[in-house]
This record gives sequence, structure tokens and C-alpha cells, in this order.
Amino acid sequence: MAAADFAFRSIVELGRLLRQKQTSATELANYFLDRLERIGPRYNAVVTITRERATAEAAQADREIKAGRWRGPLHGIPYGVKDLLATKDYPTTWGAEPYRQQQFDADATVIERLGAAGAVLVGKLAMVELAGGMGYNQANASFTGPGKTPWNPGYWSGGSSSGPGAAVAASLVPFAIGSETSGSILTPAAYCGVTGLRPTYGLVSRHGAMALAWTMDKLGPLGRSAEDCGIVLQVIAGKDPKDPSSVDRGFQTPQPGKRKFRIGIPKGADKDIQAEVAANFRAALKVLADTVDIVEDVELPDLPYGAVAGMIIAAEGASAFDDLLKDGRLSQLTAPEDRTGGYPALAVSAPDYLRALRARRPMQKALDDFLKQFDALAVPTRTTVATPLDKSFREGWPGVTGGANVIGPTNVVGVPGISVPNGFGVENLPTGLSFTARAFDERKLVALARLYQDRTDWHTRRPQID
Amino acid sequence: MAISRRSFAEQLALLAAAPWFAEDLPPLPAKQQQQTQEPSAMAKALAETVRLRYPDRFSPEDLAAITRGIDGRLRAIDRLYQTALTNADEPDFVYSVYRGAD
Repeated sequence: MAAADFAFRSIVELGRLLRQKQTSATELANYFLDRLERIGPRYNAVVTITRERATAEAAQADREIKAGRWRGPLHGIPYGVKDLLATKDYPTTWGAEPYRQQQFDADATVIERLGAAGAVLVGKLAMVELAGGMGYNQANASFTGPGKTPWNPGYWSGGSSSGPGAAVAASLVPFAIGSETSGSILTPAAYCGVTGLRPTYGLVSRHGAMALAWTMDKLGPLGRSAEDCGIVLQVIAGKDPKDPSSVDRGFQTPQPGKRKFRIGIPKGADKDIQAEVAANFRAALKVLADTVDIVEDVELPDLPYGAVAGMIIAAEGASAFDDLLKDGRLSQLTAPEDRTGGYPALAVSAPDYLRALRARRPMQKALDDFLKQFDALAVPTRTTVATPLDKSFREGWPGVTGGANVIGPTNVVGVPGISVPNGFGVENLPTGLSFTARAFDERKLVALARLYQDRTDWHTRRPQID
Repeated sequence: MAISRRSFAEQLALLAAAPWFAEDLPPLPAKQQQQTQEPSAMAKALAETVRLRYPDRFSPEDLAAITRGIDGRLRAIDRLYQTALTNADEPDFVYSVYRGAD
């Protein structure tokens, strides 16, 4: 087999090659290590290549596979992680200059679980500094430079999981782990034309992950398909005694079924957004027409999601990084706006923060009551394609004034979402379709997304790279 | 798409406290943007407490940015208190008492 054939393969395909002895874990690891090294810098996608660790893990996988000890679908599969997950023996930089040399003496729980499943860590991937916690408003907000989408490197790869999005899109890794506090998995998934799954808060342990907002941070996979993301989620989900917020639930990949799904479309979801984004959204719904019942113009409960989210992230973020605020190292951050962005939170009062936490309870119930009417909500993941690298987010696509904000409210209450590629817009940039469901309904999301991907080939398209 | 006063308040809240949410939002109309230009006296006073905490750290431009950030958050707080809560509505975290090994 020609080495180039490993690129853009799914976890399922690579696993089949391993089981059939058509390749080895070592060969796969070397192949993706080479791609990370050779192609990664073009997209500012990589922080650290974990060559020694990958070589050792791959050799162990090969020994076990040869001995007939098969650990499962991730055995021998290379992967990368957003550089906010702690790893022993390698720096964990959080994308931020003040933490460039930071070392931990243990792996994050997610990395432990992937290791136990036989996966091979090949690289730590770029991210927006401090996961965007200081309020960046343009792409150049990391010491590794602005993340670039492989579909058109003049445009952003999205954030804050900028490296995982670009690395999966360019097939520098078969899958990656990202994090989302509010949009940081789904946005790069959409801007990079890959699949991203944001699990329910608490389904995946946060132990060993940088905290931005303890009550809103989630870890989840980005991959080449919904099926791949489901395979990864099955391995990383579950209770962890080291993370008190984790829940005693797992995830089982759903089998294809013939059931009909009831889909709600929020009012204004495709109004006054980029024309190509709207057209791709309607075309995607048409693809699913015979298997879904569409309910148009549904309206989320009118509650202060933004005020609550803003208060929580500001207060928790300022506390999580109080050392940077105190000693002034915020000034070392890359984005100018990040150097002052944490200070306004010092004026947040404790009663106001607690008010936000109290308001979130009835908000959760109201949104759950709303979501239970549907199997999922569907919206364009973003109202535009990726923003140009040389413009602020606000100035990137100034004519776009519409859309329905689902990412914000659903992150505040912690329910899951998935984004799948559904076509291309201006400048050959990908667009995304996202589904959102009730807490712990990831099976429905993966099933819906697989149904869509069984009928389309957007997720198999490849950017021009080599 | 027309933006209601309530939506406008939401946008200010988001932009002030978590500017990365701005990606989710349509641009503010010019008239409303102009309304945001002069921070309130309360915002200025709170910004002064930040300056006093770190007296040698900020340039005038830094302080102006911090003041704008505080001002936006203050506008959002009203919205927080419009949701009716009772004394029994607790924060969404649970404190657990600890007892170590005997």
C-alpha cells in the first residue's frame, strides 16, 4: 500500500487496515508524525510533536495486536489533543506565552482513557490563548499564530480549538480532542469542514484540562465523521473520581435505524445570513426530508442566556487566571485585547455571580422542557464561513445581521451538539450544519449526523494540500 | 433583522463579559453603538478601583478599554435580575461536606 493512502482515512478504515495486518501502529504513527511536522506549520496547527511517546505507544500497540490482544477500535490509531490537556513529559502551554514552559507530572483523564484504549498520541495541537477567556476578537490570539483553515489559509480555522480543527481537516491526525466553553468545538468544525461533537457537560471528565469556566467547560472529539466521533466519545465518556462534575453515564454508538426524527428549526435560523450558508442548510434538510418531520420557526424560551453566560465566564475565568491578573503576565498574551480583557471581571460582585448561577437552574428546566418537544434542533452552525485572518470577527462579514443564536444558550445549560460539514460557501470555505439535543441525547445526535453523512459526501471532501 | 431592546441588552451583556460571543451576534445598529460610547459614572468608578489595585500597570487606552468592559457588564446586570427567583432558588452547584478516613 502506498503511504499516501493513510491520509483522510476514517478511524474505522484505519482500524480495518490494522486488523488485516496491512499496516502497523508504528507505520501509522510515523506517517502522521511526518504530516504534523511537514504540513502542520502551514496552518499554525501544532504546538508539540510527541514523537518519543508516540513511538513507544505504537510499539506497544503492535506487540499487543501481534499477540492477538485487541483493545478496540482505537487500538493503534494516532490522535492529537488541544494543548490544554495535561501530558507528562511534554509542555502544556494553553496556547499562551506565560505558560509556554508549563509542565505537569500526570496525564489528563481523557488522555489516560485514550491510552488505555490503545490510541497513540502524536501531537499537542494549537489553540486560542487561554481558550479565548480574555476576550479575543480576531484570529491572531495565540503564540503559535492565527489558526488557518486548510481550505483557504487566508481564513481562520475557528476557535478556540483552532489546531484540532485544522489538523483533522488536513489529515495531520485521524481525530483530535478539543474543548468547548461556548462554541470552541463546533466553530472550528464548521470552519474546517470536519465533524465536531460537544458532549453534555459532565459526560467527559475535565480532570487535567485547563479550566476557563468550571461550570461550562466540555471536552469532545473532532473527527472525519459522526461515526468516528461516536467511537471516540464511547472511550472518553464516563464517571471520573478526579472530576466531581463528571457523571456516571457512558455512551454507546447507535446502530443505524429507521425511525423518524422530529427536528425543530429556530425562528430566523437562516434569515439574513450568508446566502450560501442558508442554501446549504435548506439543501441539507431536503436530504433528510423523508426521515425527519420539520417544525419551522420554533422559539427558544426568552431568558437572559447572554447575561448569565457572560457573568459566569467572566467571574470563573478571572478566578481561574487570578495569578495572571495579579502579577500582570496578561501583558504577555498575543492579542492586544486579551492583555486587558480580564480586568473588567474584577468589578463583578459575588452576589451578581451567584444570581447568574441561581438563574441558570430555571433556565435549564425551561430549555429542557423546550428541547423535549424535538429529537433535535437544527441550525447552520455559523451564520458565515470562516472570517478573514486580517479582520476582526465583527468586521469579517459586515453584511450578515441574522441567524439564531443556539450555541450560546445551549452552552450555558450544558446540552450537547454536533456539527457536520454540509457544503461550501464563498472563497471555497466550508459550511456546517449542527444539531442540538437534550442533555445526554448524544446518541440521537450521532444517529442523525450519521444518517446525513450516509447520504452525502461533504465529510469525505479533501482540501488541496500536497 | 430588527433588534429589540431586550436583544440589544443581551448583546451588550455578551460583548462586555465575553467578547468571543460576538461571533454569534449580528452587528449593533449605528445608533445603538453610539449609545455605548460614554460609560456610566458607576463604570468609571469601578474602573478606578481596578486602577487603584494596580496603580502602575495601565495606560489611558488600557483604562478606557477596561471601563467600557465594566460598563457593558453593568448594563447586563439588570437583565439578570429580571428573572424571578425565590429565596429557595439555590445556585446550580451543590456543596458536599467532607469527612476523611478515620
